[in-house]
Amino acid sequence: MPIQFMETILLMTLATYGARVLPFLLFKGKNVQGFVRDFIELVPIALLAALVIPELVTPKGSVEIIHNPHLWAGVLTFLFAKFVPNLFMGIIFGMGVFWGLDKLLQ
Amino acid sequence: MNGDTSPEVNRGFAYGLHQSLTIGIGYAPVAVTFGILATQFGLTFWEAGLMSFFVYAGASQFIAIEMIHQGATVWMIGLTTLILNLRHMLMSLSVVPFFPERTLPWSLGLAQGLTDETFVLNSRVLKDVGGEENRRHVMLGINLGAFTSWFAFTILGSLLGSWLPIQFSGFQFALLALFIILTMTSLTKKNTMTYLLAALLAVVFKLFIPGKIYLILSVGLAAGIGAWWRQREQPQ
Repeated sequence: MPIQFMETILLMTLATYGARVLPFLLFKGKNVQGFVRDFIELVPIALLAALVIPELVTPKGSVEIIHNPHLWAGVLTFLFAKFVPNLFMGIIFGMGVFWGLDKLLQ
Repeated sequence: MNGDTSPEVNRGFAYGLHQSLTIGIGYAPVAVTFGILATQFGLTFWEAGLMSFFVYAGASQFIAIEMIHQGATVWMIGLTTLILNLRHMLMSLSVVPFFPERTLPWSLGLAQGLTDETFVLNSRVLKDVGGEENRRHVMLGINLGAFTSWFAFTILGSLLGSWLPIQFSGFQFALLALFIILTMTSLTKKNTMTYLLAALLAVVFKLFIPGKIYLILSVGLAAGIGAWWRQREQPQ
């Protein structure tokens, strides 16, 4: 197993377990409020945007609209997920549409 | 043991384990999916299993295999995991008052199994369980049931994934599709502006800044501006 992967696992474990265990070890009876709480709550949705949208709009490093199967498969998957909020079905749909568009557009 | 004890009388580990069934069933297809995708994205069977065992955080694990695939550095992946899982600190903070007399081993053990799903179930179940000793055992049962499902079904998925012989170009879109579905189930009126802002910033930063730093920059800025905006809207 490559050392880099072991480091990745180690850091990820520290990050997740650390966040879970610190309140158990240090809690004094106060809850997080205000800006910090809002920030923490908004991180997941912001990360979803940052992971997905650039990959759809600029899959090869520059903005590409027409001959871009990522973009159109993404748009269709968004629409599909709006009506069928099922993880498994959505992945199957996304993969199938991408595969088809990839053949069609390139 | 003489048959079923009434749950009102004595709620303990077995009760928690039984409660965890719903989560265990819910985790199964996601964990199988993780195992398949991890192996399709170049991880070995062992690496996928280790990640589920030690990291045990669904979204972060999917994001990590996507980032490994994109060539992000170890530190970038660690930092992304950290800011994504800060939310577990909020959940942990809200569970901790159930255990005012906790010992160190119980703290270390109960914290391990706290996920979005077990947090919701524990919060609902624990308030009807009398006695801290009982609550510890119930939470341990809930956590252990969910964790076992996540780990076991990851192993199953990675076995399936490493045996799958096909080279199907659709797989490279699988994680994006998964994130899109997660997006559609998490978008609300209150976070859509942050989502759009993060999307715009990420595209612009990706075009002009080399490497993967655009991920952290856009997420930090968008969540920061979003939180600042919320504070302005409702002062106090």
